[in-house]
Amino acid sequence: MHSKNQIQEMHAALRWEMNLAKVSVEKVGSLRNIHSSSTLLKNEPFATDYGEKSEHKGEGDKSLVTHDDLFERVAQESRTKATFSRVLDVFVRQDIRRRGHVEFIYAALKKMPEFGVERDLAVYNKVLDIFPKEVFVPRNFIQRMFNHYPRQQECGVQVLEQMENYGLTPNVETKVLLVQIFGEKSHPMRKFQRLMYWFPRFKDMNPFPIPHQLPQDPLDLARFSLSRIANDLDAKVTVHQMPFTDISETGEEVSQPYVVGIQSPDQCHLLAKHNTSRPLFVEGPFALWLRQTCVHYYVLRADPLPPEEKVKEPVDPERCFFYPLELDLDLELDRDLGDDDSFNVDEVEEGPVFAMCMAGQGDQATLAKWISGLQETNPILGRTATVFRLESGPRELQSTAEPEPDLQPHHHL
Amino acid sequence: MSLNRMFLFSKYARLLTPRVVQAGNEVTPYLQSERFFRTSTRNLAYAKDLFLGKVNKEEAFPYPEVSNEELEEINQFVSPVEKFFNEDVDSKRIDHEAKIPPETLNGLKELGLFGIQIPEEYGGLGLSNTMYARLGEIISLDGSIAVTLAAHQAIGLKGILIAGNEEQKAKYLPKLSTGEYVAAFCLTEHGSGSDAASIQTRATLTEDGKHYLINGSKIWISNGGLADIFTVFARTDVVDKDGQKKDKISAFIVEREFGGVFSGKPEDKLGIRGSNTCEVVFDNTKVPVENVIGEVGGGFKIAMNILNSGRFSMGSAGAGMIKKLIELTAEYAGTRKQFNKSLSEFGMVQEKFAVMAQNAFVMESMAYLTAGMMDRPGVPDCSLEAAMVKVFSSEGGWVCVSEALQVLGGLGYTKNFPYERYLRDCRILLIFEGTNEILRMYIALTGMQYAGKILTGKIKEMKKGNVGVVMQKLGKMLRDSFGMEVDLGLTGKDGVVHPSLADSAKKLETNVNLFGSTVESLLYRYGKTIVDEQLILKRVADVLINLYAMTAVLSRASRSISIGLRNHSHEVLLANTFCSEVFFKNNYMMTQLQKNSPENNDDSIKKIAKEVLAQRAYICSHPLERTF
Repeated sequence: MHSKNQIQEMHAALRWEMNLAKVSVEKVGSLRNIHSSSTLLKNEPFATDYGEKSEHKGEGDKSLVTHDDLFERVAQESRTKATFSRVLDVFVRQDIRRRGHVEFIYAALKKMPEFGVERDLAVYNKVLDIFPKEVFVPRNFIQRMFNHYPRQQECGVQVLEQMENYGLTPNVETKVLLVQIFGEKSHPMRKFQRLMYWFPRFKDMNPFPIPHQLPQDPLDLARFSLSRIANDLDAKVTVHQMPFTDISETGEEVSQPYVVGIQSPDQCHLLAKHNTSRPLFVEGPFALWLRQTCVHYYVLRADPLPPEEKVKEPVDPERCFFYPLELDLDLELDRDLGDDDSFNVDEVEEGPVFAMCMAGQGDQATLAKWISGLQETNPILGRTATVFRLESGPRELQSTAEPEPDLQPHHHL
Repeated sequence: MSLNRMFLFSKYARLLTPRVVQAGNEVTPYLQSERFFRTSTRNLAYAKDLFLGKVNKEEAFPYPEVSNEELEEINQFVSPVEKFFNEDVDSKRIDHEAKIPPETLNGLKELGLFGIQIPEEYGGLGLSNTMYARLGEIISLDGSIAVTLAAHQAIGLKGILIAGNEEQKAKYLPKLSTGEYVAAFCLTEHGSGSDAASIQTRATLTEDGKHYLINGSKIWISNGGLADIFTVFARTDVVDKDGQKKDKISAFIVEREFGGVFSGKPEDKLGIRGSNTCEVVFDNTKVPVENVIGEVGGGFKIAMNILNSGRFSMGSAGAGMIKKLIELTAEYAGTRKQFNKSLSEFGMVQEKFAVMAQNAFVMESMAYLTAGMMDRPGVPDCSLEAAMVKVFSSEGGWVCVSEALQVLGGLGYTKNFPYERYLRDCRILLIFEGTNEILRMYIALTGMQYAGKILTGKIKEMKKGNVGVVMQKLGKMLRDSFGMEVDLGLTGKDGVVHPSLADSAKKLETNVNLFGSTVESLLYRYGKTIVDEQLILKRVADVLINLYAMTAVLSRASRSISIGLRNHSHEVLLANTFCSEVFFKNNYMMTQLQKNSPENNDDSIKKIAKEVLAQRAYICSHPLERTF
């Protein structure tokens, strides 16, 4: 029948109920009954929660199973919003007293991600709607002072908590429901107010928002990710190689991974000025997390300029037709300390990054295609040694099997 | 204030120490500076001395006059030109058809307007700058014609006039002055406005060494479609003294006859539609070496000189336009009735006329003061003053035309009246011949350079132990800290300003004195990095322009009242009103220039711009947007 675990769980719940009953005085229980519907009064003239539970023990047990069961049964058909709602409807219709609704709501909350409705505000409202209305609203100062129907309030808070965890802002309907169920100053209502205080303020705080739905096509995803890292409106994304799968004559599957690169005009300009006697490096893969997705990118970079090559170009006096670009004063007049607003920051010098790319495969042959594609707009690449310094990082994260990247630097001319 | 002073003084000490070490190489940078600082040859230095808090009253007072004979001569020229513009020029048609009819052009040529400043020996009118300014007032009544003429002689042929040799002058000037040849100035290229480094047009010497082949394209060339003679700037290989090959800009006279000169389609413009602006392409144009203007590789300086000297007439042009507009709108304001009152009885309409009159008065005063300075014997360099006149009058002109249009309300907005055309035409004044932004940089930095030189010179003197300089400095500091009234000698015993303008003169003196200390403290605070502080330089330029404008109106009104010109009391009224208005503006701007001034919003302004430009869009959420 039931597993041992489930029975233990049930007992634990019962013990908890008993303790509560002790704390909150028997009167509380009786008060509730006085105010509840007449049918309830007739059936249960004087029942604490504990009594109620023990009386209907078999039924309660059964309902605990059915909650999960209900979802499981439906899940066999399909796990969609529609089926999830149907389960909720079935529960609501089953029993006018909504017996065992707390357990049911907990079960529903747990099942939401499986049905893919964990980000659906309407479903949360529907879940809240399961609570019977007006029953748990405190009616006098004593009730208001003490924790009125703590289990139900706790459950209401849990619903909001789950919404919070999924970053969902409640709406007016949620508020109306909470007021109807728990009253104006209840714990769930407080939780709601806190959510409404912070969530709208946090909603657009990220200056680089990531959409909830990332592009499905790996090419589009690469485009999106590269523009995101580059953060330069002028940067141009180029698809150096389209993904391509074909069956060759021998029956083997020949596939070509995609290669997408990004480079800004500034980077192009910088690369053109690169000293050809110094090698360029293709490095990577580096990880970029987009919510739950991890993608990898590669960079083309050089070592930082040695100090002897860092010469500041003198201002050409015959540069500007209209005004002097530089004042010519005998004394070295620098900015006064009081007007120097710059911060003193210890900067670690890094080499310039000339371009970035993402590819379907991280092997040298694929990345070499990127470099040869770049060469069209950056002829200097043909005259400079390019060293591949690839790590075997992404293999365990990427599902596609990759050939072992060579750790030894190779010269690509 | 006195604390600030002490702080400055401590900076002297800081500056003194490192200098001792490198005292050996003082000569070289000084020589180099001649090249950097091109206006250092001038003997007139009214505007520059303002940066030191000095008023060089001999230069601006008394207001320049012309002799009776000259005046008669001017009037002789002016009346036929005025008649021609009133009767034979159909501005509406020129604007509509975007072309100046050939008969109008011929008329202009017959009047000699294509060679106003070319010496008489080359067939021009040989007029002085003052006379040129006077004619400019009339010519400006049609924007298209004014720009066509200016492109021809203010910049187009100026190169030959100021830097050409005798043969070049004798060959080209006679035909240019009659208008047989039209000239154009070809400097701007794609990607090169003020930046000489991005000029791509190249001139290569042919193997026989007798010709240059010019290749490249120039854009926005006024008269580009009409011109027969082009002043073209192109890169050439030059071997300098050290035997190194260098890429330098040279100026060439190019005839359309040489071949390989192609003009593009005329640009469709907002205003000055009748003037011809187009792209000019040079494709292997063969230019004989004799046609290089000045030295090979000396083109940069020539271009700069042409640009600097080309813009002074704009002041009088603006004034001429506004005077005409006042007549036109006053007529309307006097006759149109609303609520049984004519428009001229309404305060807000009256204010517009006051603004227009004041602006015209100030522009005129500045323009003719500058022209007078330029006409003095020698070769005075008044490029700073000319730039100030250009900035002031272009902006004032824009405001006034807009106000004039406003007086007519909806009527002014229609094509039935010329106001909308004036509005479109005068918008170009803020843009061409150096945008006002660039000219402000020029104005402020030229002065800063001058002041910086003198101030660092003083520091050196003090270092050498020159007690006089130290005492002078201390004296000034003491005077300032006690708030004693400034007396720069404009009024009083040897005064040059009429007593009825004494209050305004005092205001000018106070402003000038404060300006001197402001510049000094700016130099101490920012040093050479002042070139990057554009918002500060903008204010410095604005204050200087205002100071020069005050000087001009004071000088002119003093003369008028002293010799009893007609309506001189009106001039005094205008001058006093302008001075007191500008006095407060100056004070405000100079307060903004003080350290940690709460009036100064520059940091916030820069931040706003930065945030907008980072996104390249207006980034605020829509007011109807919600978060929940």
